[in-house]
Amino acid sequence: MDIGGIFASLMNVIGSPYHMLLLLIAVPAGMFFGAIPGLGGKLGIVLAIPFVFGMEPLAGAIFLISMHSVVHTGGAIPSILFGVPGTGPDAATIVDGLPMTRKGEAGRAIGAALGASGVGGVIGGLFLLAILPLLRPVVLAFGPAEFFLLALFGITFIAMLSGDSLNKGLLVGLFGLMLAFVNLDPQTGTQRYTFDQLFLWDGIDIITAVLGIFAIPEMIALGIAGGSMAGDKRQSASYGRSGVLEGIGDVFRHWGLTIRTSIIGAFIGMIPGLGGDAASWICYGHAVQSSKTPERFGKGAIEGVIAPETANNSKEGGSLLPTLFFGVPGSSGMAILLGAFVMLGIQPGPGLALTGMDIVWTLIWALMIANVVAVIMFFAVAPVFGYLSYVRGGLLIPFVFTLTYLGSYLSHRAWENLVLLTVLGILGYFMKKHDWPRPPFVIGLILGPIVEDSFHKAMALWGPRFLLRPGALFMIALIVVSFGIYVWRMRSNKNKTGQRQHAN
Amino acid sequence: MQTKALFTGPVLTAVAMLAIFLTMSLMALGFPEKARLMPLMVGIPGSVLALLQVLAELRTSIDDAMETDAQQSAAHWNERHMFTWLLLFFFGILGFGFIYAAPLLVFGFLYVGKKETIKVGAFGAAGTWVVLYGLFEQAFEIPLFTGLVIEWLLN
Repeated sequence: MDIGGIFASLMNVIGSPYHMLLLLIAVPAGMFFGAIPGLGGKLGIVLAIPFVFGMEPLAGAIFLISMHSVVHTGGAIPSILFGVPGTGPDAATIVDGLPMTRKGEAGRAIGAALGASGVGGVIGGLFLLAILPLLRPVVLAFGPAEFFLLALFGITFIAMLSGDSLNKGLLVGLFGLMLAFVNLDPQTGTQRYTFDQLFLWDGIDIITAVLGIFAIPEMIALGIAGGSMAGDKRQSASYGRSGVLEGIGDVFRHWGLTIRTSIIGAFIGMIPGLGGDAASWICYGHAVQSSKTPERFGKGAIEGVIAPETANNSKEGGSLLPTLFFGVPGSSGMAILLGAFVMLGIQPGPGLALTGMDIVWTLIWALMIANVVAVIMFFAVAPVFGYLSYVRGGLLIPFVFTLTYLGSYLSHRAWENLVLLTVLGILGYFMKKHDWPRPPFVIGLILGPIVEDSFHKAMALWGPRFLLRPGALFMIALIVVSFGIYVWRMRSNKNKTGQRQHAN
Repeated sequence: MQTKALFTGPVLTAVAMLAIFLTMSLMALGFPEKARLMPLMVGIPGSVLALLQVLAELRTSIDDAMETDAQQSAAHWNERHMFTWLLLFFFGILGFGFIYAAPLLVFGFLYVGKKETIKVGAFGAAGTWVVLYGLFEQAFEIPLFTGLVIEWLLN
């Protein structure tokens, strides 16, 4: 590894006022695109292409990667405050972020999201620097069999996110899986549950589904209950800068979880085809599973904000590597970035490892620095966002309704999504009202297509023997061990509670 | 009393789930073999679990059927009020698009629905219009949905 070259690349970013200026413009732009539901990083890059057109390739690439790497930092804000995810992967942050807002801890939750995003981005980048020599064998070792089992691993988290009612949790998870099969079947080309509607051929839009299941029910419930998102918690509120600082401190207090989820996120990002949504939910599930008190999750556990937010930002670094070295984008955002790189004159592919390592190092540094800059910039304005949770619900609801419909429409530019959003919103409200856990729905919807597609591919390639491949055996062991640990923890917690009650 | 228990919210939610799983499973039987494998693998256990949930909710509902109070009727009124506004937003945007309908709906919700002052309503409506038209349509050049009624009138 060329250590001198790596640090010379760092100077390419921080030593150049021009590059730093571009980075300072790109970071708030990226956060803005992340914070508005339906816009997201992909549209941000598309809109920025005319701006970088004609720029020197490295400068243009630094601008785009800096913008793209902080999209999810901004996306956490509406997720935490209103239950409206800025982008698909931010949905996992709602599960504990929104209950924290209701407890009057919006500032702390935003601080944790901010700190986790920054640290996740940096650790993800460092992990990439370390793993670069091993990249090719690791990425190539992942085939359909391993994809299938990794997605299955994610689905086992449904049980862990079911709260008090396992039956309801499983049902909601299966419902999400069932809706994942609404599409043009990739194996046979058969229309499944599409009712001849073109907008359903690619499947149910994740953003619309998440907005329907989370945002609309929250606003209806707020309108019924009255008051503000934070209820009457003003006295105990942590909405100022101290709350934000406390949240940032939480990220370091849970350093083990932060490092683990950053690495898991970067690793999942590195594998083309799994997608960013899977990274945040798998990391959220890992946080629940590894916690000594999993019953706190879904009710405002700070680890439930930290885990998905670290993963969201670290996976961006992960997906940069296959994009640059194999020309295979790790995510849909990276696919657009790939096109923009080619337009700028940077030719991704194996040749880059021979002649363009300085560009790769520079982009990894830019990604890490952008994440740090985002934390500093956002810290200055974060308390203002915290105050939003104390705005009267009556003033907030019409804007959130408008934003929700807008996000749903913009995600696929299909008006039919507005119908789907309303139907899922009404269903989501009754699920909320009658205590049906909603997170398993999103896990099912996101991982369903991966499970089905990789299962058919693995069966076609190896038959049932695909389960005996070394990678598959490793994944099976991982599923069994992690599930076993979770069950053991739950049992020992129950025993402890029982003993305590007996003693009283 | 027992007949009334059949129509409680928790029971109806569970019944809706059962209906969804059963319908989707039955529809899957008409797909080719490869296309129906996963929907049936999910749909059949889903139907069984949903049936169990319906039975569990029925038992709970019959136990709780005695508990009715005035608070519930107030909550029902608020619920209907919010659903009315949700549907107004839906049909308004669907019919007349974001640029025309959204500012009017924001004004209506604030001034009529929540009894805010006319100034607050007008300010909210103007802000919505500036964001939708100024930011999205003009600055970002993202064309927003114009509404089915407006499209029909224009054509």
